[in-house]
Amino acid sequence: MKNSSKFALLALLLLSLFALVACTNSESSSSETDGNEAETEKEVVTNEEGKTVISFWHAMSGAGQVSLDAIVADFNTSQDKYEVQAEFQGSYEESLTKLRSVGGTKDAPAITQVFEVGTKYMIDSGFVEPIQKFIDKDKYDISQLEENILNYYTVDDQLYSMPFNSSTPVMLYNKDAFKAAGLDPEKAPETFSEVIDAAAKLKTDDMKGFSMLTYGWFFEELVATQGGLYVDEENGRAGDATKATFNGPEGLNVFRFLDTMNKAGTFGNFGTNWDDIRAAFQSGKVAMYMDSSAGIKGIIDNAPFEVGAAYIPYADEVKRNGVVIGGASLWMSKGIAEAEQEAAWEFMKYLTTPEVQAKWHLETGYFAINPSAYDEQIVKDAWEVTPQLKVTVDQLQSTEPSIATQGALISVFPESRQQIVTALENLYQGMDPQEVLDTAAEGTNRAIEIANKTK
Amino acid sequence: MMVVSKPKKISYWKRSSNARIALLYLLPSIILFSVFVFYPMFRTIYLSFFLTDQAGEAAIFVGLENYTYLLESDAFLNSIKATFLFVLYTVPTGIIIALILALLANEKLRGIGIFRTIYASTMGISVAASSVVWLFLFHPSVGMFNKLLNIFNLPQIEWLLDPTWALFSVSLSTIWLNTGFSFLIILGGLQNIDEHLYESARIDGASYWYRLKRITIPMLSPTLFFIITISLINAFQTFGQIDILTKGGPSQSTNLIVYSIYKEAFINYQFGTASAQAVFLFICILIVTILQFKLGEKKVHYQ
Repeated sequence: MKNSSKFALLALLLLSLFALVACTNSESSSSETDGNEAETEKEVVTNEEGKTVISFWHAMSGAGQVSLDAIVADFNTSQDKYEVQAEFQGSYEESLTKLRSVGGTKDAPAITQVFEVGTKYMIDSGFVEPIQKFIDKDKYDISQLEENILNYYTVDDQLYSMPFNSSTPVMLYNKDAFKAAGLDPEKAPETFSEVIDAAAKLKTDDMKGFSMLTYGWFFEELVATQGGLYVDEENGRAGDATKATFNGPEGLNVFRFLDTMNKAGTFGNFGTNWDDIRAAFQSGKVAMYMDSSAGIKGIIDNAPFEVGAAYIPYADEVKRNGVVIGGASLWMSKGIAEAEQEAAWEFMKYLTTPEVQAKWHLETGYFAINPSAYDEQIVKDAWEVTPQLKVTVDQLQSTEPSIATQGALISVFPESRQQIVTALENLYQGMDPQEVLDTAAEGTNRAIEIANKTK
Repeated sequence: MMVVSKPKKISYWKRSSNARIALLYLLPSIILFSVFVFYPMFRTIYLSFFLTDQAGEAAIFVGLENYTYLLESDAFLNSIKATFLFVLYTVPTGIIIALILALLANEKLRGIGIFRTIYASTMGISVAASSVVWLFLFHPSVGMFNKLLNIFNLPQIEWLLDPTWALFSVSLSTIWLNTGFSFLIILGGLQNIDEHLYESARIDGASYWYRLKRITIPMLSPTLFFIITISLINAFQTFGQIDILTKGGPSQSTNLIVYSIYKEAFINYQFGTASAQAVFLFICILIVTILQFKLGEKKVHYQ
């Protein structure tokens, strides 16, 4: 009896060992094929009409998905060589996780939409073909695209991915509440102290003065607009960043700004959910708040009062530097057939045409990466009706190109953003601004250290 | 032991024939378990000794460093505390409510079936769907609870945004969600109790409370034991409602261990530390379950 159970145990252990070994084998063999793939002929997927079929992974839901599907359908009917299949793969995080398992193989989608903070990860991953290659080959005129958007995605003078959906933060305010509080509804507060004063005047029993979604992106923007850097090594653009610098004076300014209003009771905390803060604004629980330019069209259309849009505030003692773009860009896979890459490139070019961009801008609120889209008649008409959309474009175009507004480049952004969220939440509970920022910086430093060690 | 080889007439092959047959029968489940349970488990333990690279593969061997880091990390200690508090809030309350409802629904009345269906109905609702409903109830600006407080002129509560309330709010929704299942199991247990016991007790003039204490609870103890074990393990593994309601916030107050593992692995891509947390959780559940069997089983009365 004892022997037999030992025997069973032994068999079990052996079996699990086989499983482990089998796995290690498959890993090494897959990495071998990675290397060989460049030379071997790859199969091109074609449909019955002989079109090259490529898949395009995206993370657009709601209005964005409807608009994107229409654009893809238009592209497919506009020519007879390629067929793009758009596939929704969940949130940016989910789609990136899926890409990790197929990246660099021939099963990878030809095009993947990856959020801006995944840029560094994608470059390091080795899954991607920099689109600079096609720009050079095709003599594609890159200067027609928005400079401030290209700046973000240009690393070491190479454009790695095609910008697609870009947005920036804006400050939205309730013009009716401004009137009621005796403030000029046409002139939004610009600096931190002006916002603090306005918030105090706007506060009523039901309404808070100012709010900001508890989300790292807004903090990054408020630091960048003061010219502050998020990490060392020139925001991670001169080399691999080694240390967070957002706990310096600029970051502290932002935390003090929020802390002052929070302690005065003029700051409304509506948590980490975009819908919650928007609902708070629309139901008159807060008079000013920061939102993404991509969301403002819906807010303006649905609010029962007049909505004003303004540039994001900056610290009194510095000049305004502008904003860093957020959103996502399109990455082309390496390791797929050349014909598929060609198809992907053609699709990317189609996306950047003014007509497509004009439609995209109006349907979603994302920027047109091709500024000539703004000259399209439909855009002019729409701006006539909702001039707030133009504010967001002006804010982007008046941004001073610099390392700060280029945006930080680190591979551990998702983790760092969580550290900021925790820091903000602790701040709202009354903890010291410098202390919570330092804790967040420490957490980010550890993540950066591990990422650099395991690279 | 095996090393001492004694001269035997029967060969090893023959002696082990029973074991081989047993193994043959067990093989399907051994294979399935190996693929879906043992391999992931060993892999988790293996990964917990490494730092992983960006593709999630083991990159640098660090020994026990992941574990020592966890035990020194305030965030993780906080997760442990939150998890135990969450278990404490949800398990006893949930079972007591389910027990009371089951006792009520066990009475023989006209239309009792309707009540039984209603009480058990939360079982048919997915965690995601119910969490979304609760999200609306807890909503900071348009939520039902704050509207109710407003009617009675009570101060507004930031249900999911105030660290002192968030864990309570999540517990509340969890208790509501789990009651249906516990109710159904306990009701099943109650229906299995032999009616003769009650009849004899009634003839002896035993009061309702006496019958409850001396017949119902002892006869129900195997069911209760089962449901306590299941509820404990479920509570330790809570994920869905946290993800939808709070995402572990505010100030990490609802960052239960499973959610913390998820964040570490799939947002931060630190599979090493995530694995170490998973191993830690496994040990915790193992200890609690063993303790429960050692201490609790003595009180269980099997017929």
